[in-house]
Amino acid sequence: MAANGDAMIQTGIFEDLQRKIDEDTAVKDALRDIVQSLEKQDRTTQSILSRSHSTATQDLQSVVKAAQTNIDKEIATIQQLSEIASKHPYYKFNYAWTRQMQDACYSVLLCGWLGGFGKGATGQLMTIEDVGSLMKVPVNLKDRDAFHLTIEEYLLALISLLEELARLARNSVTLGDHRRPLQIAQFIKDVHAGFQILNLKNDTLRKRSDGIKYRVKEVEDVVYDLSLRGLLPKD
Amino acid sequence: MGVKRSHAEMSGRPKKQDAPTASDQPQSPFMPIFETFRAELDEHHARREEIIKASRDITAASKKIIFTLQRTRKLKEPLPQHVTKTNKDHHDIIAERLKNVAKHLQGINSFRYARQISGGCQEWMEAASFQHYLETARLLSYEESRALLEQVSRDEEGRSVVLSPEDYVLGIYDMTGELMRFAITAMATQGLPTIPLEADDPNADAAGAIEVDSSVPVAGQRNVLTDMRLLRSALEGIDAGSGPFAKDAEKKMEVMRTSVEKVEKSLYGLIVRGAERPKGWMPDMDAGGGRAIEVEG
Repeated sequence: MAANGDAMIQTGIFEDLQRKIDEDTAVKDALRDIVQSLEKQDRTTQSILSRSHSTATQDLQSVVKAAQTNIDKEIATIQQLSEIASKHPYYKFNYAWTRQMQDACYSVLLCGWLGGFGKGATGQLMTIEDVGSLMKVPVNLKDRDAFHLTIEEYLLALISLLEELARLARNSVTLGDHRRPLQIAQFIKDVHAGFQILNLKNDTLRKRSDGIKYRVKEVEDVVYDLSLRGLLPKD
Repeated sequence: MGVKRSHAEMSGRPKKQDAPTASDQPQSPFMPIFETFRAELDEHHARREEIIKASRDITAASKKIIFTLQRTRKLKEPLPQHVTKTNKDHHDIIAERLKNVAKHLQGINSFRYARQISGGCQEWMEAASFQHYLETARLLSYEESRALLEQVSRDEEGRSVVLSPEDYVLGIYDMTGELMRFAITAMATQGLPTIPLEADDPNADAAGAIEVDSSVPVAGQRNVLTDMRLLRSALEGIDAGSGPFAKDAEKKMEVMRTSVEKVEKSLYGLIVRGAERPKGWMPDMDAGGGRAIEVEG
Protein backbone atom coordinates (compact mmCIF):
# COMPACT_ATOMS: atom_id res chain seq x y z
CA MET A 1 0.00 0.00 0.00
CA ALA A 2 1.02 3.54 -0.53
CA ALA A 3 2.77 5.70 1.98
CA ASN A 4 0.57 6.67 4.87
CA GLY A 5 0.24 10.35 4.11
CA ASP A 6 -0.95 9.57 0.66
CA ALA A 7 -3.63 6.99 1.43
CA MET A 8 -6.98 7.11 -0.29
CA ILE A 9 -8.94 7.11 2.92
CA GLN A 10 -7.85 9.55 5.56
CA THR A 11 -7.81 8.14 9.04
CA GLY A 12 -10.97 8.55 10.99
CA ILE A 13 -13.46 8.96 8.15
CA PHE A 14 -15.21 5.69 8.73
CA GLU A 15 -14.72 5.74 12.48
CA ASP A 16 -16.60 9.06 12.62
CA LEU A 17 -19.36 7.66 10.48
CA GLN A 18 -19.67 4.59 12.63
CA ARG A 19 -19.96 6.79 15.70
CA LYS A 20 -22.82 8.73 14.09
CA ILE A 21 -24.63 5.56 13.11
CA ASP A 22 -24.14 4.13 16.59
CA GLU A 23 -25.55 7.29 18.18
CA ASP A 24 -28.71 6.89 16.15
CA THR A 25 -28.90 3.23 17.04
CA ALA A 26 -28.72 4.15 20.73
CA VAL A 27 -31.60 6.60 20.32
CA LYS A 28 -33.62 3.97 18.49
CA ASP A 29 -32.96 1.48 21.29
CA ALA A 30 -34.05 3.93 23.97
CA LEU A 31 -37.20 4.72 22.01
CA ARG A 32 -37.94 1.09 21.35
CA ASP A 33 -38.27 0.28 25.05
CA ILE A 34 -40.80 3.04 25.62
CA VAL A 35 -42.69 2.30 22.44
CA GLN A 36 -42.92 -1.34 23.40
CA SER A 37 -44.46 -0.57 26.75
CA LEU A 38 -46.92 1.75 25.04
CA GLU A 39 -47.81 -1.07 22.70
CA LYS A 40 -48.33 -3.46 25.58
CA GLN A 41 -50.49 -1.00 27.49
CA ASP A 42 -52.56 -0.29 24.43
CA ARG A 43 -53.15 -3.96 23.89
CA THR A 44 -54.67 -4.12 27.36
CA THR A 45 -56.84 -1.09 26.61
CA GLN A 46 -57.98 -2.71 23.40
CA SER A 47 -58.93 -5.90 25.14
CA ILE A 48 -60.98 -3.92 27.66
CA LEU A 49 -62.68 -1.91 24.93
CA SER A 50 -63.54 -5.02 22.98
CA ARG A 51 -65.84 -5.99 25.80
CA SER A 52 -68.13 -3.27 24.47
CA HIS A 53 -69.26 -5.73 21.81
CA SER A 54 -70.79 -7.95 24.43
CA THR A 55 -71.86 -5.38 26.99
CA ALA A 56 -75.37 -4.04 27.11
CA THR A 57 -75.57 -0.30 26.53
CA GLN A 58 -76.66 0.45 30.08
CA ASP A 59 -73.60 -1.34 31.50
CA LEU A 60 -71.17 0.23 29.09
CA GLN A 61 -69.86 2.80 31.51
CA SER A 62 -67.94 0.21 33.52
CA VAL A 63 -66.07 -0.81 30.35
CA VAL A 64 -65.38 2.81 29.48
CA LYS A 65 -64.16 3.52 32.98
CA ALA A 66 -61.76 0.58 32.98
CA ALA A 67 -60.45 1.60 29.56
CA GLN A 68 -59.95 5.15 30.71
CA THR A 69 -57.88 4.03 33.66
CA ASN A 70 -55.65 2.12 31.32
CA ILE A 71 -55.45 4.95 28.83
CA ASP A 72 -54.14 7.10 31.67
CA LYS A 73 -51.19 4.73 31.85
CA GLU A 74 -50.67 5.08 28.13
CA ILE A 75 -50.66 8.82 28.47
CA ALA A 76 -47.91 8.61 31.08
CA THR A 77 -45.85 6.53 28.65
CA ILE A 78 -46.56 8.97 25.83
CA GLN A 79 -45.22 11.70 28.10
CA GLN A 80 -41.96 9.78 28.47
CA LEU A 81 -41.84 9.19 24.75
CA SER A 82 -42.50 12.83 24.05
CA GLU A 83 -39.69 13.89 26.34
CA ILE A 84 -37.07 11.71 24.69
CA ALA A 85 -38.34 12.11 21.16
CA SER A 86 -38.39 15.88 21.39
CA LYS A 87 -34.62 15.89 21.81
CA HIS A 88 -34.28 14.73 18.23
CA PRO A 89 -35.65 15.85 14.89
CA TYR A 90 -39.25 14.63 14.92
CA TYR A 91 -39.34 12.99 11.53
CA LYS A 92 -36.00 11.31 11.91
CA PHE A 93 -37.36 8.70 14.30
CA ASN A 94 -41.11 9.02 14.01
CA TYR A 95 -41.34 5.71 12.19
CA ALA A 96 -40.40 4.13 15.52
CA TRP A 97 -43.62 5.17 17.22
CA THR A 98 -46.11 6.27 14.58
CA ARG A 99 -48.04 2.99 14.53
CA GLN A 100 -48.24 2.84 18.32
CA MET A 101 -49.38 6.45 18.48
CA GLN A 102 -52.05 5.63 15.92
CA ASP A 103 -53.21 2.71 18.05
CA ALA A 104 -53.25 4.80 21.21
CA CYS A 105 -55.17 7.50 19.36
CA TYR A 106 -57.66 4.91 18.18
CA SER A 107 -58.20 3.69 21.75
CA VAL A 108 -58.90 7.25 22.81
CA LEU A 109 -61.30 7.80 19.92
CA LEU A 110 -63.21 4.60 20.62
CA CYS A 111 -63.35 5.22 24.33
CA GLY A 112 -64.53 8.76 23.63
CA TRP A 113 -67.16 7.56 21.20
CA LEU A 114 -68.46 5.15 23.82
CA GLY A 115 -68.93 8.07 26.16
CA GLY A 116 -65.59 8.21 27.92
CA PHE A 117 -63.64 11.27 29.03
CA GLY A 118 -66.67 12.99 30.43
CA LYS A 119 -68.54 12.88 27.14
CA GLY A 120 -71.30 11.01 28.89
CA ALA A 121 -73.29 10.16 25.79
CA THR A 122 -72.12 7.87 23.03
CA GLY A 123 -71.54 8.94 19.46
CA GLN A 124 -69.11 11.79 20.03
CA LEU A 125 -66.15 12.40 17.81
CA MET A 126 -63.07 13.52 19.65
CA THR A 127 -61.25 16.05 17.50
CA ILE A 128 -57.51 15.91 17.02
CA GLU A 129 -57.27 18.77 19.51
CA ASP A 130 -59.32 16.80 22.04
CA VAL A 131 -57.02 13.82 21.63
CA GLY A 132 -53.91 15.99 21.86
CA SER A 133 -54.97 17.74 25.03
CA LEU A 134 -55.94 14.42 26.58
CA MET A 135 -52.56 12.94 25.65
CA LYS A 136 -50.87 16.17 26.71
CA VAL A 137 -49.04 16.46 23.42
CA PRO A 138 -49.26 19.11 20.74
CA VAL A 139 -51.00 18.26 17.48
CA ASN A 140 -50.09 19.07 13.91
CA LEU A 141 -47.02 20.96 15.00
CA LYS A 142 -45.58 23.32 12.41
CA ASP A 143 -43.63 26.08 14.08
CA ARG A 144 -41.20 24.02 16.10
CA ASP A 145 -39.61 20.62 15.98
CA ALA A 146 -40.97 18.51 18.82
CA PHE A 147 -43.02 15.43 19.51
CA HIS A 148 -46.67 15.68 18.49
CA LEU A 149 -49.65 13.83 17.09
CA THR A 150 -49.85 14.15 13.31
CA ILE A 151 -52.93 14.57 11.17
CA GLU A 152 -52.11 11.33 9.39
CA GLU A 153 -51.96 9.42 12.66
CA TYR A 154 -55.28 10.87 13.75
CA LEU A 155 -56.97 10.11 10.44
CA LEU A 156 -55.69 6.54 10.35
CA ALA A 157 -56.94 6.06 13.91
CA LEU A 158 -60.29 7.48 12.83
CA ILE A 159 -60.53 4.88 10.07
CA SER A 160 -59.86 2.16 12.64
CA LEU A 161 -62.68 3.61 14.71
CA LEU A 162 -65.09 3.35 11.78
CA GLU A 163 -64.11 -0.26 11.20
CA GLU A 164 -64.75 -1.07 14.83
CA LEU A 165 -68.07 0.76 14.83
CA ALA A 166 -69.26 -1.22 11.83
CA ARG A 167 -68.68 -4.32 13.86
CA LEU A 168 -70.33 -2.75 16.88
CA ALA A 169 -73.44 -1.95 14.82
CA ARG A 170 -74.07 -5.65 14.19
CA ASN A 171 -73.24 -6.66 17.72
CA SER A 172 -75.56 -4.01 19.14
CA VAL A 173 -78.41 -5.68 17.32
CA THR A 174 -77.39 -8.99 18.83
CA LEU A 175 -77.53 -7.35 22.25
CA GLY A 176 -80.99 -6.05 21.50
CA ASP A 177 -79.99 -2.42 21.05
CA HIS A 178 -81.70 -1.34 17.84
CA ARG A 179 -81.00 2.31 18.29
CA ARG A 180 -77.23 2.28 18.15
CA PRO A 181 -76.92 1.08 14.54
CA LEU A 182 -78.75 4.25 13.48
CA GLN A 183 -76.38 6.36 15.44
CA ILE A 184 -73.38 4.54 14.02
CA ALA A 185 -74.72 4.77 10.48
CA GLN A 186 -75.04 8.52 10.74
CA PHE A 187 -71.64 8.90 12.34
CA ILE A 188 -69.87 6.82 9.71
CA LYS A 189 -71.61 8.67 6.91
CA ASP A 190 -70.62 12.00 8.39
CA VAL A 191 -66.99 10.98 8.72
CA HIS A 192 -67.05 9.45 5.25
CA ALA A 193 -68.28 12.75 3.84
CA GLY A 194 -65.30 14.39 5.52
CA PHE A 195 -62.83 11.98 4.01
CA GLN A 196 -64.29 12.54 0.59
CA ILE A 197 -63.15 16.13 0.47
CA LEU A 198 -59.53 15.18 1.17
CA ASN A 199 -57.18 15.04 -1.79
CA LEU A 200 -55.33 11.90 -0.93
CA LYS A 201 -52.30 10.65 -2.77
CA ASN A 202 -51.40 7.07 -3.27
CA ASP A 203 -50.37 6.36 0.29
CA THR A 204 -51.49 4.38 3.30
CA LEU A 205 -54.13 6.93 4.16
CA ARG A 206 -55.59 6.67 0.69
CA LYS A 207 -55.63 2.90 0.72
CA ARG A 208 -57.24 2.66 4.10
CA SER A 209 -59.74 5.41 3.51
CA ASP A 210 -60.87 3.60 0.37
CA GLY A 211 -62.33 0.99 2.70
CA ILE A 212 -64.65 3.44 4.48
CA LYS A 213 -67.36 3.12 1.84
CA TYR A 214 -67.66 -0.57 2.61
CA ARG A 215 -68.12 0.24 6.28
CA VAL A 216 -70.87 2.68 5.32
CA LYS A 217 -72.56 -0.05 3.34
CA GLU A 218 -72.16 -2.65 6.07
CA VAL A 219 -73.90 -0.45 8.59
CA GLU A 220 -76.59 0.60 6.15
CA ASP A 221 -77.31 -3.05 5.59
CA VAL A 222 -77.81 -3.52 9.31
CA VAL A 223 -80.16 -0.55 9.42
CA TYR A 224 -81.97 -1.88 6.38
CA ASP A 225 -82.42 -5.30 7.98
CA LEU A 226 -83.87 -3.67 11.05
CA SER A 227 -86.19 -1.36 9.17
CA LEU A 228 -87.45 -4.20 6.99
CA ARG A 229 -88.59 -6.02 10.09
CA GLY A 230 -89.94 -2.95 11.79
CA LEU A 231 -87.33 -3.21 14.50
CA LEU A 232 -86.12 0.37 14.44
CA PRO A 233 -87.05 2.56 17.41
CA LYS A 234 -90.17 4.52 16.68
CA ASP A 235 -89.20 7.90 18.11
CA MET B 1 -76.29 13.27 21.68
CA GLY B 2 -79.20 11.08 20.84
CA VAL B 3 -80.67 9.67 17.70
CA LYS B 4 -81.54 12.49 15.41
CA ARG B 5 -82.87 10.78 12.36
CA SER B 6 -85.91 8.76 11.65
CA HIS B 7 -85.42 5.44 10.02
CA ALA B 8 -86.91 6.59 6.75
CA GLU B 9 -84.05 9.00 6.41
CA MET B 10 -81.49 6.48 7.44
CA SER B 11 -82.22 3.74 4.99
CA GLY B 12 -81.38 3.77 1.36
CA ARG B 13 -80.40 7.42 1.07
CA PRO B 14 -76.90 7.63 -0.27
CA LYS B 15 -76.57 11.42 -0.04
CA LYS B 16 -77.07 12.91 3.38
CA GLN B 17 -77.78 16.27 1.80
CA ASP B 18 -81.12 14.79 0.79
CA ALA B 19 -82.01 14.16 4.38
CA PRO B 20 -83.22 17.30 6.06
CA THR B 21 -82.83 17.03 9.79
CA ALA B 22 -84.10 18.91 12.70
CA SER B 23 -80.98 19.88 14.60
CA ASP B 24 -78.06 19.40 12.20
CA GLN B 25 -76.96 21.25 9.17
CA PRO B 26 -77.61 19.17 6.08
CA GLN B 27 -73.88 18.72 5.79
CA SER B 28 -71.72 16.49 7.89
CA PRO B 29 -70.96 18.27 11.15
CA PHE B 30 -67.32 17.27 10.72
CA MET B 31 -66.80 19.25 7.53
CA PRO B 32 -64.94 22.15 9.13
CA ILE B 33 -62.48 19.72 10.70
CA PHE B 34 -61.85 18.00 7.42
CA GLU B 35 -61.44 21.28 5.59
CA THR B 36 -58.54 22.09 7.89
CA PHE B 37 -57.09 18.66 7.26
CA ARG B 38 -57.47 19.09 3.53
CA ALA B 39 -55.53 22.34 3.57
CA GLU B 40 -52.75 20.78 5.63
CA LEU B 41 -52.51 17.65 3.51
CA ASP B 42 -52.57 19.63 0.26
CA GLU B 43 -49.68 21.72 1.50
CA HIS B 44 -47.79 18.61 2.50
CA HIS B 45 -48.36 16.88 -0.82
CA ALA B 46 -47.32 19.96 -2.79
CA ARG B 47 -44.07 20.18 -0.86
CA ARG B 48 -43.50 16.50 -1.21
CA GLU B 49 -44.00 16.55 -4.96
CA GLU B 50 -41.73 19.53 -5.41
CA ILE B 51 -39.01 17.69 -3.54
CA ILE B 52 -39.50 14.49 -5.52
CA LYS B 53 -39.16 16.44 -8.77
CA ALA B 54 -36.05 18.24 -7.56
CA SER B 55 -34.55 14.97 -6.41
CA ARG B 56 -35.21 13.44 -9.80
CA ASP B 57 -33.56 16.36 -11.59
CA ILE B 58 -30.58 16.25 -9.27
CA THR B 59 -30.22 12.54 -9.92
CA ALA B 60 -30.37 13.03 -13.68
CA ALA B 61 -27.84 15.87 -13.66
CA SER B 62 -25.50 13.91 -11.38
CA LYS B 63 -25.65 10.96 -13.74
CA LYS B 64 -24.67 13.23 -16.61
CA ILE B 65 -21.79 14.61 -14.59
CA ILE B 66 -20.58 11.10 -13.87
CA PHE B 67 -20.90 10.22 -17.53
CA THR B 68 -18.63 13.10 -18.50
CA LEU B 69 -16.21 12.30 -15.69
CA GLN B 70 -15.87 8.81 -17.09
CA ARG B 71 -14.12 10.31 -20.09
CA THR B 72 -11.07 11.16 -18.02
CA ARG B 73 -8.18 8.74 -17.96
CA LYS B 74 -5.84 10.34 -15.46
CA LEU B 75 -5.84 10.22 -11.70
CA LYS B 76 -4.79 12.93 -9.30
CA GLU B 77 -4.79 15.60 -11.92
CA PRO B 78 -7.07 18.56 -12.50
CA LEU B 79 -10.04 17.65 -14.67
CA PRO B 80 -9.61 18.36 -18.37
CA GLN B 81 -11.12 21.63 -19.52
CA HIS B 82 -13.78 19.98 -21.65
CA VAL B 83 -15.05 17.97 -18.72
CA THR B 84 -15.34 20.97 -16.45
CA LYS B 85 -17.04 22.94 -19.19
CA THR B 86 -19.58 20.25 -20.05
CA ASN B 87 -20.45 19.70 -16.42
CA LYS B 88 -20.97 23.31 -15.51
CA ASP B 89 -24.58 23.28 -16.73
CA HIS B 90 -25.35 20.18 -14.75
CA HIS B 91 -23.82 21.62 -11.61
CA ASP B 92 -25.93 24.73 -12.11
CA ILE B 93 -29.10 22.68 -12.38
CA ILE B 94 -28.24 20.81 -9.21
CA ALA B 95 -27.52 24.00 -7.30
CA GLU B 96 -30.74 25.59 -8.51
CA ARG B 97 -32.91 22.61 -7.55
CA LEU B 98 -31.25 22.27 -4.16
CA LYS B 99 -31.70 25.93 -3.35
CA ASN B 100 -35.36 25.63 -4.31
CA VAL B 101 -36.16 22.84 -1.92
CA ALA B 102 -33.87 23.88 0.94
CA LYS B 103 -36.74 25.89 2.46
CA HIS B 104 -38.90 22.77 2.65
CA LEU B 105 -36.30 20.84 4.58
CA GLN B 106 -36.05 23.01 7.68
CA GLY B 107 -37.22 22.79 11.29
CA ILE B 108 -39.96 20.28 11.89
CA ASN B 109 -39.75 19.22 8.25
CA SER B 110 -36.01 18.66 8.23
CA PHE B 111 -36.39 14.90 8.09
CA ARG B 112 -39.97 14.71 6.91
CA TYR B 113 -39.01 14.39 3.27
CA ALA B 114 -35.74 12.58 3.82
CA ARG B 115 -36.92 9.67 1.73
CA GLN B 116 -37.90 11.95 -1.13
CA ILE B 117 -34.64 13.91 -1.30
CA SER B 118 -32.42 10.99 -0.41
CA GLY B 119 -32.15 9.65 -3.97
CA GLY B 120 -30.87 12.96 -5.28
CA CYS B 121 -28.44 13.36 -2.39
CA GLN B 122 -26.99 9.91 -2.93
CA GLU B 123 -26.47 10.46 -6.62
CA TRP B 124 -24.98 13.87 -5.92
CA MET B 125 -22.65 12.22 -3.41
CA GLU B 126 -21.64 9.64 -5.96
CA ALA B 127 -20.74 12.31 -8.50
CA ALA B 128 -18.99 14.54 -5.97
CA SER B 129 -16.88 11.76 -4.50
CA PHE B 130 -16.00 10.36 -7.92
CA GLN B 131 -14.88 13.76 -9.12
CA HIS B 132 -12.92 14.34 -5.93
CA TYR B 133 -11.23 10.98 -6.32
CA LEU B 134 -10.25 11.67 -9.93
CA GLU B 135 -8.79 15.02 -8.94
CA THR B 136 -7.08 14.10 -5.71
CA ALA B 137 -7.06 10.30 -5.45
CA ARG B 138 -8.68 10.70 -2.07
CA LEU B 139 -12.02 9.84 -0.62
CA LEU B 140 -14.16 12.83 0.19
CA SER B 141 -14.96 12.59 3.89
CA TYR B 142 -18.45 12.92 5.31
CA GLU B 143 -17.69 16.27 6.89
CA GLU B 144 -16.25 17.62 3.64
CA SER B 145 -19.23 16.33 1.67
CA ARG B 146 -21.71 17.78 4.10
CA ALA B 147 -19.98 21.15 3.95
CA LEU B 148 -19.88 20.99 0.17
CA LEU B 149 -23.59 20.22 -0.13
CA GLU B 150 -24.38 22.94 2.35
CA GLN B 151 -22.44 25.40 0.26
CA VAL B 152 -24.04 24.29 -3.00
CA SER B 153 -27.58 24.30 -1.64
CA ARG B 154 -27.58 27.45 0.49
CA ASP B 155 -30.38 29.81 -0.52
CA GLU B 156 -30.56 33.59 -0.03
CA GLU B 157 -31.87 33.13 3.46
CA GLY B 158 -29.06 30.84 4.46
CA ARG B 159 -31.09 27.65 4.47
CA SER B 160 -29.47 24.57 3.01
CA VAL B 161 -29.88 20.86 2.44
CA VAL B 162 -28.20 18.65 5.02
CA LEU B 163 -26.43 15.54 3.86
CA SER B 164 -27.20 12.58 6.10
CA PRO B 165 -24.44 10.11 7.01
CA GLU B 166 -26.64 7.42 5.48
CA ASP B 167 -26.84 9.13 2.10
CA TYR B 168 -23.10 9.67 2.26
CA VAL B 169 -22.37 6.00 2.77
CA LEU B 170 -24.88 4.89 0.15
CA GLY B 171 -23.40 7.36 -2.32
CA ILE B 172 -19.94 5.99 -1.67
CA TYR B 173 -21.19 2.48 -2.29
CA ASP B 174 -22.39 3.59 -5.70
CA MET B 175 -19.15 5.40 -6.34
CA THR B 176 -17.29 2.09 -6.31
CA GLY B 177 -19.32 1.17 -9.39
CA GLU B 178 -17.96 4.25 -11.14
CA LEU B 179 -14.43 3.35 -10.08
CA MET B 180 -15.00 -0.05 -11.64
CA ARG B 181 -16.13 1.47 -14.93
CA PHE B 182 -13.27 3.94 -14.85
CA ALA B 183 -10.71 1.23 -14.14
CA ILE B 184 -11.94 -1.16 -16.81
CA THR B 185 -12.19 1.47 -19.53
CA ALA B 186 -8.72 2.72 -18.67
CA MET B 187 -7.33 -0.80 -18.67
CA ALA B 188 -8.46 -1.26 -22.24
CA THR B 189 -6.65 1.80 -23.45
CA GLN B 190 -3.70 2.54 -21.23
CA GLY B 191 -3.67 0.15 -18.34
CA LEU B 192 -4.91 0.25 -14.79
CA PRO B 193 -4.78 3.85 -13.58
CA THR B 194 -2.14 4.26 -10.93
CA ILE B 195 -1.65 7.05 -8.51
CA PRO B 196 1.45 9.03 -9.43
CA LEU B 197 3.73 8.73 -6.46
CA GLU B 198 6.88 10.70 -5.90
CA ALA B 199 9.53 9.22 -8.18
CA ASP B 200 8.13 5.77 -8.57
CA ASP B 201 8.42 4.04 -11.85
CA PRO B 202 5.21 2.19 -12.59
CA ASN B 203 7.00 0.21 -15.23
CA ALA B 204 9.18 -1.69 -12.85
CA ASP B 205 9.37 -5.37 -13.59
CA ALA B 206 6.73 -7.12 -11.57
CA ALA B 207 4.70 -9.26 -13.86
CA GLY B 208 7.17 -12.04 -14.26
CA ALA B 209 7.63 -13.93 -17.46
CA ILE B 210 4.83 -12.43 -19.50
CA GLU B 211 5.77 -9.36 -21.35
CA VAL B 212 3.23 -6.67 -20.61
CA ASP B 213 2.77 -3.00 -21.05
CA SER B 214 2.42 -0.39 -18.36
CA SER B 215 -1.07 -1.63 -17.62
CA VAL B 216 0.17 -4.08 -15.08
CA PRO B 217 0.40 -2.69 -11.59
CA VAL B 218 3.52 -2.86 -9.55
CA ALA B 219 3.37 -4.39 -6.13
CA GLY B 220 3.17 -1.68 -3.50
CA GLN B 221 2.08 0.92 -5.98
CA ARG B 222 -1.31 2.51 -5.34
CA ASN B 223 -3.77 2.08 -8.14
CA VAL B 224 -7.52 2.17 -8.61
CA LEU B 225 -7.87 -1.45 -7.64
CA THR B 226 -5.91 -1.18 -4.40
CA ASP B 227 -8.08 1.81 -3.54
CA MET B 228 -11.25 -0.06 -4.38
CA ARG B 229 -10.18 -2.89 -2.10
CA LEU B 230 -9.44 -0.44 0.65
CA LEU B 231 -12.84 1.10 0.21
CA ARG B 232 -14.46 -2.30 0.12
CA SER B 233 -12.92 -3.31 3.40
CA ALA B 234 -13.87 0.02 4.99
CA LEU B 235 -17.47 -0.30 3.83
CA GLU B 236 -17.62 -3.90 4.95
CA GLY B 237 -16.53 -2.74 8.37
CA ILE B 238 -19.55 -0.50 8.86
CA ASP B 239 -22.17 -1.82 11.22
CA ALA B 240 -25.34 -0.39 9.75
CA GLY B 241 -27.45 -1.55 12.67
CA SER B 242 -31.06 -2.24 11.75
CA GLY B 243 -33.67 -0.30 9.88
CA PRO B 244 -34.10 0.98 6.35
CA PHE B 245 -30.48 2.09 6.04
CA ALA B 246 -29.17 -1.38 6.91
CA LYS B 247 -31.38 -2.84 4.22
CA ASP B 248 -30.18 -0.41 1.55
CA ALA B 249 -26.57 -0.87 2.59
CA GLU B 250 -26.87 -4.62 2.35
CA LYS B 251 -28.13 -4.42 -1.22
CA LYS B 252 -25.44 -2.01 -2.29
CA MET B 253 -22.77 -4.07 -0.56
CA GLU B 254 -23.39 -6.94 -2.95
CA VAL B 255 -23.12 -4.68 -5.99
CA MET B 256 -19.97 -3.10 -4.58
CA ARG B 257 -18.33 -6.48 -4.05
CA THR B 258 -19.16 -7.46 -7.61
CA SER B 259 -17.60 -4.22 -8.87
CA VAL B 260 -14.33 -4.92 -7.12
CA GLU B 261 -14.33 -8.43 -8.43
CA LYS B 262 -14.95 -7.32 -11.99
CA VAL B 263 -11.84 -5.18 -11.87
CA GLU B 264 -9.89 -8.02 -10.32
CA LYS B 265 -10.99 -10.39 -13.05
CA SER B 266 -10.17 -7.90 -15.77
CA LEU B 267 -6.75 -7.30 -14.33
CA TYR B 268 -6.20 -11.01 -14.10
CA GLY B 269 -7.07 -11.33 -17.77
CA LEU B 270 -4.78 -8.48 -18.59
CA ILE B 271 -1.85 -10.04 -16.79
CA VAL B 272 -2.35 -13.60 -17.94
CA ARG B 273 -3.17 -12.84 -21.53
CA GLY B 274 -2.10 -9.26 -21.73
CA ALA B 275 0.52 -9.83 -24.38
CA GLU B 276 -1.95 -11.50 -26.66
CA ARG B 277 -4.58 -8.84 -26.60
CA PRO B 278 -5.03 -6.81 -29.75
CA LYS B 279 -5.05 -3.07 -29.56
CA GLY B 280 -8.32 -1.62 -28.42
CA TRP B 281 -9.59 -4.85 -26.98
CA MET B 282 -11.94 -4.37 -24.04
CA PRO B 283 -12.18 -6.89 -21.28
CA ASP B 284 -15.68 -8.30 -21.14
CA MET B 285 -17.26 -6.93 -18.02
CA ASP B 286 -19.99 -9.51 -17.84
CA ALA B 287 -18.12 -12.72 -18.37
CA GLY B 288 -15.20 -13.76 -16.22
CA GLY B 289 -12.26 -11.55 -17.07
CA GLY B 290 -9.89 -14.27 -18.25
CA ARG B 291 -12.39 -16.24 -20.21
CA ALA B 292 -13.26 -13.46 -22.60
CA ILE B 293 -9.84 -13.67 -24.13
CA GLU B 294 -10.48 -17.14 -25.40
CA VAL B 295 -11.73 -15.56 -28.57
CA GLU B 296 -8.12 -14.83 -29.25
CA GLY B 297 -6.60 -18.03 -27.92
